[in-house]
Amino acid sequence: MRDLFIKKVVFYSAIISFLLIACTKEKTDYEAERGNTVAENTEFKEVTSLVSSGYSIRIEALGGVLYRGYNDIRVIINKQQNNEPVAVSSVKLLPVQTNVQGMKIVCPHQSEMDYTLDGRYFSGYSVFTDESSAAVNWSLEIDFTVGGQTFTATQHVTVKPQVNKNRNLTTFTGKDGEQYLIALIAPWKPTVSENKLVAGIYKLDAAQLSYTTVNGYTLQLDPRMPEPSMGNHSSPNNKDLVQQADGLYHGVVNYTMTGNWTLNFILVNQNGRVIAGTEVPKDFTPGVEGRKSELYIDILF
Amino acid sequence: MLSLGWNVHGQNNPVTRDTTRRLAEVTVNAAAKKRIENDLKMTVSVDEYLASASNISFIKRGAYAWEPLLNNMSSERSTITIDGMHVFGACTDKMDPITSYVESNNLAAIDIKSGQEGNLHGATVAGSIDLKRRNTAFGLQKKIGGAYQTGFEFNNKQTFNLGNLYYSSDKFVADGSIAFRKAGNYYDGNDDEVRHSQYNKFNASLGLAYKTSPLSAVRVDAIFDRAKDVGFPALPMDLSLSRAIITSAAYKQLFEEGLVKVWDTKVYFNAVEHYMDDTTRPENLVHMDMPGWSTTYGLLSKINLQKDRYSSEIQVNAYDNLSIAEMRMYPQDRSKQTMFAYSWPWVTTRFASVAMNNALDLSDISRLVFGGSLGLNYNYSKYVEFNWIFHPGSPQKKNRFLPSLHASYQLNIGQFDFSLGTGFGHRAPSVSEAYGYYIYNSFDRYDYIGNPDLKNEVSYEANASAGFKTGKLSIGAKANYFFIQDYIIGRILSLGSPMNYQSVGVKGYTSLDHATLFNLALNAQYQILPGLDWKAVLTYARGQDNMGGNLPFIRPLSYQTSLHYRYKMIGVQTSMNGDFSQVNFSPEYGEDQTASYKIWNVSADYTFTIGKLNAVFQVGAENLFNEYYSTYADWGNIPRMGRNIFTSLKINF
Ligand SMILES: [Cu+2]
Repeated sequence: MRDLFIKKVVFYSAIISFLLIACTKEKTDYEAERGNTVAENTEFKEVTSLVSSGYSIRIEALGGVLYRGYNDIRVIINKQQNNEPVAVSSVKLLPVQTNVQGMKIVCPHQSEMDYTLDGRYFSGYSVFTDESSAAVNWSLEIDFTVGGQTFTATQHVTVKPQVNKNRNLTTFTGKDGEQYLIALIAPWKPTVSENKLVAGIYKLDAAQLSYTTVNGYTLQLDPRMPEPSMGNHSSPNNKDLVQQADGLYHGVVNYTMTGNWTLNFILVNQNGRVIAGTEVPKDFTPGVEGRKSELYIDILF
Repeated sequence: MLSLGWNVHGQNNPVTRDTTRRLAEVTVNAAAKKRIENDLKMTVSVDEYLASASNISFIKRGAYAWEPLLNNMSSERSTITIDGMHVFGACTDKMDPITSYVESNNLAAIDIKSGQEGNLHGATVAGSIDLKRRNTAFGLQKKIGGAYQTGFEFNNKQTFNLGNLYYSSDKFVADGSIAFRKAGNYYDGNDDEVRHSQYNKFNASLGLAYKTSPLSAVRVDAIFDRAKDVGFPALPMDLSLSRAIITSAAYKQLFEEGLVKVWDTKVYFNAVEHYMDDTTRPENLVHMDMPGWSTTYGLLSKINLQKDRYSSEIQVNAYDNLSIAEMRMYPQDRSKQTMFAYSWPWVTTRFASVAMNNALDLSDISRLVFGGSLGLNYNYSKYVEFNWIFHPGSPQKKNRFLPSLHASYQLNIGQFDFSLGTGFGHRAPSVSEAYGYYIYNSFDRYDYIGNPDLKNEVSYEANASAGFKTGKLSIGAKANYFFIQDYIIGRILSLGSPMNYQSVGVKGYTSLDHATLFNLALNAQYQILPGLDWKAVLTYARGQDNMGGNLPFIRPLSYQTSLHYRYKMIGVQTSMNGDFSQVNFSPEYGEDQTASYKIWNVSADYTFTIGKLNAVFQVGAENLFNEYYSTYADWGNIPRMGRNIFTSLKINF
C-alpha cells in the first residue's frame, strides 16, 4: 500500500510540475521593451583626433559618432611625443557649419568647456543643426591654453542623421521674426514614468551668424499620442519647461505607455507673449489622428 | 451545507470525544453532506448554487464566471478561499472570480460567513466565502464509489459531463473528479441571440490522503481548471484561455487528551494565467493583448481547542502573491511600434495573520462567540514608475496593519432564538485599487487608476437575528448594518485622459469619508403536507455614500419562493424569483434604473435503479414564460437568458 502511495505521489507531482512550467504566453521582458527603439550608447569613444603645435587632441562623443541634434563632447589634450598629460588651463569649442554658398554659421554650443578632474578631460556640448552633406560641412575649432599660450586647431567632422527621436530638434521662425531652435537633450531613453525633460532653446543672431541661448522664456508642454487609435491621449502631471542655472530648460513629461508621442509646445517670452506654437484640442477623439501644435517634436520609445 | 454567516453553530462544532470517529469526520466529511444543488436543479454550476444564498448576489458579465457579491459588497471586500487557501484571479476586468476555478462536483460545501466572523482566513469587510472541497473518509464500507452526471440545456445548447470517483481504505483515500461543460450563445426572452456568451470549461481534481498513524494523516490535493473560448457579451473582449493549477499538501494531527484537539497545517501553491482576446470583435477600433498572471504561495495552520464549555480555533495564515497584467495596443498601421504598459505593474502582496475565534456556552440557552485577528499586509510594486504618473512620490513598498474584532451573543429560548453581534475590522486595498493602471471598466466606461496611498477601509458592523421554529414551520429574520469608514470607490479625476478608446474619462480610486450598508433577509419555511414544502426569502438592502447618494450594485427588494413536492420516486418543484424595480440606483457610478422582473421555474425528477445503480433523471424549465429582463447587476444591461429547458441524469455508484 505504501509503495503504491509513493508511486502515485511521484506520478502526480510529475503531472503538476509539467503543468507549472508550461505557461502558455511569455511575459513581456520589460527591460528589453523599454530599449526597443533606443540603442544603448553610454560609452564615450573617439570621434576624431588631430595633432597641432606639438599636442595631440582627441575629440570624443557617445559611441564615437556625432549626430544631428544635441551631443555631449569631450576633449582630451596630451603631449604629442609621449602622450603625457599636460596642464591645459582652458579649452574653447567652436562648431562651425559651412554651407554651399560658403556662409559660416556657428551652431548652439558650450563655448568654455568644463574640466573634469577624474577623467582629466574637458567636457561640453554642441547642437548640430543639420547632418553633413554635399551642401553642409562641419568643423570643430578648438582653442586651448597651455602655460598662458593659446593654440588653435580646426578639424573637419562628420555629423550623422539622428537615430534617437528623443534627441530631435526643430527650427522655426518666431512671431517676432527671429530664427529659433529647440533641441531635446534628455531623457535619452524615456520610460513609462515621470521623465525629466531637458531642452535647449536658442536664437540665431543674424548679424553674428551664431546661435545664442534664449533666456527667461517658458516652453509650455502638452504631450500627446498622435496614433488615431489613441484618440489624442495625454498624460497628467506634466510641467512646462523653464530655464535653470545651467541655461537649459527643464520640465517634466509623463509617458503613460511606450510608443509614439508628440511633444506639443508653445514658446512664450519673458513678457508672456507667444513666440510660436498653438493650443491643441484636449478632447478624447478615438479614431482621429491627434492634431499637433505648430511647434512640436515627435519622439518614440 | 450552505452555512450562512449568522449561524455560528456551524463554525465551532463541538468536537466529539471519539477520536477515531472524529478523524473520519474532521478530515473527511464527504458522504454525509448534502449535495451541491439548489431548489430547482440537481446539477448546478457553482454560481447557480451560490445564488441560492440570501446574502449573495452577482455581477454578471455573461453566462460564465459571475462575480459574487457578499452582503452587497464587491469581491475585494470579501475573502474568497478554497479550503482556506487564497487564490487571486489574474484578470484586471474580474472575468475570473475564484469561484470560476472550481466545479460543483469537486466541492462538498460552501461556507459563507458574514462580516468580521469571516476573519479566520484573512482581513475582510463583507465576510468570507470558503469553497470546501470533497474529502472522502478513511475506511468507508464501500471502498469504491462515485457519481456521474450528464445533461443538456436547450437554450444555449449546454452539454455537461461531470464524474467523480473515490477509493477509500483504512490507510489510503483517493478522490478524483473531472468535469466538462460546453455551451453556445444563449438566447434572451425575445429569442434574440446574445452574441459572445459561449463558454467551454474543463476542470479536474485529485486528492490523495494517507493515514500516517491512528491520529494523523497527510493529504495532497490539486485542481486543474481550464476555460477556453469564453464570451463576455458585456465586455469589449472575450477570453481565449484561462488556466489555474491549485495545489496543496496538508498534515493533520488529532489529540485524544488535553486542550488541543486538532492541529491542521497546509502549504499551498497556485498559479493562474489569463489571456483575453479581442480578435473575436472585429468592430473594435484598437487591437489589444491583455494577458495576466497571478501566482500565490501560502501556508495556513490551525488548531482547535476545547475544554468544557469553551471551544476555540486559532489559525495562522501567510501568503505571497504576485499579480502581473499587461496591456499592449497595436497601432492601425501594424508596421509601427506597439504601445505597451502594465495594468498591474508586478505587484507583490504578502500577508500574514493570526486569527482566533472562540465560543463559550454561558448556559444551556446562551452562548458567547468572540474573536479577533491581526493581519500584516505588505505590498511592493516593481514598476512603481507607473503608479508615480498619477501619484508622484508614492512609496514602492507599503505596510499595513489590519486588526479585526467581533463578538456576538446568542440566546435560545424554547422555539425562539436570537442573536446580537458587532464587529470591527480593516481591509487593505486590492491590487487594482492600490496599483491598477488604466483598467477599463466597461460598466461606467472609465479607465481606473489605483492609488498606493489609500487608507485602510475600516468597517464597523452590527448584526442581529431572530428565529422561530416548530416542527413544520420556521421563520427567521437577519439584519446587518455596516458603517464603512474610508470606503474605497472610483471618482472622476480631472487629470489625464483615457487610454482605452471606448472610455470616456479617467477615474481614480479614492476614499469616501464613509459609506453605510444595510441588509435585511426574511425567510420562512413551512411543511404544508408531508412531502410538500414551501420556502420563501425576501431581501432588502440599502447602500449610501457619505452624501446620502446611492452606492452601486445594491440589490433592490427581491424575493425567492419555491414549492417542493415529493411522492415516492417522483419530485416536483416550482420556484419563482424576482426583483422589484430598482429605486435607489446610482447614475454617478454608471447605473440606470432597472425594471422589475419575475421568473418562473419548474422541474420534475424521477429516481430509479438500474441494476445496482441508483439514478435520478430530471427535466425542467427556467424562465418558463420566456421573460425578457436584465437585473440591476447585469454589466451593460445585457439581457438574461430566456426560457431554458434543461435535462440531467445522475448516476450514483
Ligand atoms: Cu479578463
